[in-house]
Amino acid sequence: MGVLVTIGWWLLARFVPPPLPSWGGQEIAGMFAANATGIRVGMIFMIAGMGFFMPFIALISAQIHRMEGSPPVLAYTQLLAGAMSVAIVLFPVMFWATAAFRPDRDPQLILMLNDMAWLISAMPFAPAVVQNIAMGAAILGDKSPARIMPRWVAYMNFWMAVLFLPAGLMVFFKTGPFAWNGLLSFWLPLVAFGIWFNVMIYALLRAIQQQPDG
Amino acid sequence: MTDITATMARCEPHMPGEPGIWIFIMGDMLVFALFFSVFAFYRGEQPALFSASQATLNTGLGLTNTLLLLTSSWFVVEAVKAVRRGSGKLSCRLFFLAFLCGLAFSGIKLVEYNEKIAAGITLTSNDFFMFYYIFTGLHFVHVIIGLVMLVFVMLTLARPATGEQKVRFVEVGASYWHMVDVLWIVLFPLIYLVK
Repeated sequence: MGVLVTIGWWLLARFVPPPLPSWGGQEIAGMFAANATGIRVGMIFMIAGMGFFMPFIALISAQIHRMEGSPPVLAYTQLLAGAMSVAIVLFPVMFWATAAFRPDRDPQLILMLNDMAWLISAMPFAPAVVQNIAMGAAILGDKSPARIMPRWVAYMNFWMAVLFLPAGLMVFFKTGPFAWNGLLSFWLPLVAFGIWFNVMIYALLRAIQQQPDG
Repeated sequence: MTDITATMARCEPHMPGEPGIWIFIMGDMLVFALFFSVFAFYRGEQPALFSASQATLNTGLGLTNTLLLLTSSWFVVEAVKAVRRGSGKLSCRLFFLAFLCGLAFSGIKLVEYNEKIAAGITLTSNDFFMFYYIFTGLHFVHVIIGLVMLVFVMLTLARPATGEQKVRFVEVGASYWHMVDVLWIVLFPLIYLVK
């Protein structure tokens, strides 16, 4: 998933770094017209990448279920929050695809599609935050003798949750560190997600290897 | 020889709480360090604007808040000492005093925000106030989480069972609270005082 999203979003669509929120209709429409093919292919890569994210979320939920037993409230919470995170990313992908579908549309309409895409990409912090808190709570509440995941992973999840919060403010700003292309609303959550994803893969692999068979 | 060995055995390093909370604390402090660097950078670009805006802040309230947090941390230090001695009840009361300080901090914070908003100054007024609201706001969220943690610590102390796990949990809560205090100690001079 990481590879597909990186190729799709970064290399092909050239959305990293993001376009400036302060740009008007002309600039944004120009961007979509110039790179229409790249954006279209990039979005297809991202859709494929999202497909891979689903079993990852399911796997996390399965491990949480092992930790918490019945009723699997935290497992369900994580599943729901993770599913929402996947769905939420699909909206921007489709808005960008729509913009690139007919780049000679009225620039103001393309501007709106672009705005919607970027705001949706990181502003909804709730699913990510809830997902991380559920994960952390499950690990800390794990009473089994052989810990399924090390406790520091829980604290790392709590830390990540905090890092997703500033992006919620991007709706106020067109420039500066809290705008959608800013250090604290874009780069910080992006780096945070990268760290979280890789640490979780390590923790999951370890948990699976130590899982008793049957 | 046995005396030295015994002394050395007693001197083994003790990590308060558990390793995970320190990952959180270091991580959070790293993020706030990033915030402070960004603030310093923007301040360097517009020193006049920042100085003028800073002059309108209510330093008295800010100072009161600083004293409240420092006092609450002192209560927490004494509370942790008490729990290590086995005085659960005293510890609980000290944590409660820390909690009250935190509550007072929150109240004053709200008064301060209200004062500014009533004067028409909001988060989009200018860059200084953007940082003022967002950083003190994010810190405020940490304070509220801290208050919740203190409640859980008090509930844990109220339960009759004792044990190392209990002490560790108390230390986790105390460490978090100290972090909240440390963040404010850097935030306050940076935003309110440094010209």
